[in-house]
Amino acid sequence: MQMPTARQRRLRTILFWAVPAILLLVPLGTNAYTQFIVNGMLISTLVTLGFTIVIGNLGQLAFANTAFFGIGAYGSAILAAKLGVPWLLTIPIAGVFGAAGGFLASAAALRGIRSYYLAIITLAFGELMRWTYLHARPLTGGTDGLPMPRETLFGVSLTDDTVKYFVFLVVTVLLVKATANLLASRFGRAVMAVRENEVATASLAIPTSRVILVTFIWSGFVVGCAGALFARHIGHVFPESFGMLHLIASFAMVLVGGLGSVLGAVLGAVVLTALPEYLRAFPGMEELFFGLIVAAVLVALPMGLASLLRRMSPIFVERFYREAS
Amino acid sequence: MRKITALFAMLAFTAAPAFAQDAGWETQGLTDDSITIGVMGPFSGNASSYSKAMVGMMAYYQKVNDDGGVHGRKLVAVQEDTACDSAKGLAAAKKLISQDQVFMLQGNSCSGVAVALRPVVEESGIPWIVAQAVSDSISVPLARNIFHGVPTGSANGRAMASFVLSKPDTKNVAIIEHSNDWAHSYSDPAKEYLKEQGITPSLELTMERGQTDATAQVLQLREAKPDFIIAALYEAETAIFLKDLKKYGLGDIPVMGTAGTDLENTLKRTGDFDTVKNYFVIHSYVDNLDGPKMKKWADMIKKYYPDEELSTFSFVSIGSAEALVSALEKIGPDLTRSKLIAALEEVRDFDTGILSDPITWTPEDHQGVKGSAVAGFVDEKPAVLKAWGQPY
Repeated sequence: MQMPTARQRRLRTILFWAVPAILLLVPLGTNAYTQFIVNGMLISTLVTLGFTIVIGNLGQLAFANTAFFGIGAYGSAILAAKLGVPWLLTIPIAGVFGAAGGFLASAAALRGIRSYYLAIITLAFGELMRWTYLHARPLTGGTDGLPMPRETLFGVSLTDDTVKYFVFLVVTVLLVKATANLLASRFGRAVMAVRENEVATASLAIPTSRVILVTFIWSGFVVGCAGALFARHIGHVFPESFGMLHLIASFAMVLVGGLGSVLGAVLGAVVLTALPEYLRAFPGMEELFFGLIVAAVLVALPMGLASLLRRMSPIFVERFYREAS
Repeated sequence: MRKITALFAMLAFTAAPAFAQDAGWETQGLTDDSITIGVMGPFSGNASSYSKAMVGMMAYYQKVNDDGGVHGRKLVAVQEDTACDSAKGLAAAKKLISQDQVFMLQGNSCSGVAVALRPVVEESGIPWIVAQAVSDSISVPLARNIFHGVPTGSANGRAMASFVLSKPDTKNVAIIEHSNDWAHSYSDPAKEYLKEQGITPSLELTMERGQTDATAQVLQLREAKPDFIIAALYEAETAIFLKDLKKYGLGDIPVMGTAGTDLENTLKRTGDFDTVKNYFVIHSYVDNLDGPKMKKWADMIKKYYPDEELSTFSFVSIGSAEALVSALEKIGPDLTRSKLIAALEEVRDFDTGILSDPITWTPEDHQGVKGSAVAGFVDEKPAVLKAWGQPY
């Protein structure tokens, strides 16, 4: 894998800010439907990003992602609907709720539980949260879910997908940039080291427990914020939005994009959010085609779509990124 | 702060085209020879079996088209999949409204999806006839453009209690239900109706989903000796409960079930007629599915969908499709969305010939079907009843 030169790194930085600037113009070419799909891509980007840093970068087989997502969504909906907190303010708070979920999920990893055992425990955590959404009826609305109150932002209704888009875009760009910076820092190198060999990493006086804890918490924060965006995106939070199907879809996005890659998280989210919409033209066959296309991508590109771009130019090589062994 | 305001002003300017309302909105989705109708349903996913609920409506559209359409216009259905998922359902609705630009919407099987769609459809102003989903919160509080064309959860719950109290000398009523909102959507209005009649349930029991034994509940019922039991349980649990009732000698107590169970399917599950001989269920139709009054509808579906295996769901949307066509005919050729909404609000006691209760939509109330018949075994044969001992 060829590493980028200093010039290419500068170009990458320009590109990072140029793309969101161009994305500001997206509403000029969308209708309510396509805008809704684009908004969904931004949310999926954050969910995939939060997932990939735990599963891809840290190398922990943890599936609590959907739990963080639900915690963020319900946190935002409860604050907005029950306490009248403006939705914009609920976004960072939902992130903190998600981070708290990340802290809880990390407890199992910190106790030395790994591999399939960690997978099962974190899956159980997700199901436990779903049970809570279903049965804490006064707070969550049970199976009826919780509607988001109608709000305006600078005089424009927040039911409008275009207005939501600008907020979603700002939050997504900030969190993607923050995550990319985190992974490109000394901390990111430590994360990668833990994935490769936890014992050897600890022998270098790197506090592996703290690395694991912070990665889970950051993952929970990112996905919790995505949950708050999702609550406004759908306008009504239901328990079934946070089940196994969502988890499988997120996992597919991580793999199709490229495990442990920030760019891969974005690509996986964009492609797999758009794909089912293209497949609408084949009612009853969508699931089959979706499965076939995902399988074909993974067979052709085992390291995901991001690997294709990395092959095209070193600009797309992320600092400290190493393909999972 | 000034910079932030300027930024948002710029963003609002960028977004301006999206807010603009088309001038031809009233007649969007109409041509001289067609009316496009957006039909949403779960055509994929775990709940795809509910897409059967679209079949009757689609067959009825085709029948109307074969008969020449409405004022020369054919009904053209544009189908979109919701997969019974709120995000996918919202995408489907937005596609139909803003991209396909349909004239109106009809359908939707999953209540959760329909509830999530409500703000979007309400804001769009385009007429929507809810033809399958039953949650009351889809159409209450009133939204000017949303009409419910099937009995809602509250209508069914009240119909259950009404039937129970129609049995002479019924004073002692017990309730058994799942601890979920689906069950509450039947039991809460049933309890409300009982309360209005001065009756408080003697026993309120819970049987959780997936429970394979109802002995504990049945023993409590044996103590309470109810005259009637209201059971808001899914079909599998209903079968277990009925078997245990018989096992402990309570098989003669009548049990009133929801629309979520089918009489004959329950018999198939128990495999013993004695367990279901006193079981009654909500049945929204004028006759048994294979009865003479349903034959013309069954024949219509079979004509257009020869492979369709008919079930209770196959017929559920026909009534509201009839009401729609009747309203379209009354408006005449000069059709607009506002005229359709006004015409639907004029529908009074519309006898569909298939739903057990008529459809009435007023400007104040868009929940069109206020009651439901009941199905039960009479002389060992399934029968549709208005009240205890009264055939429909």
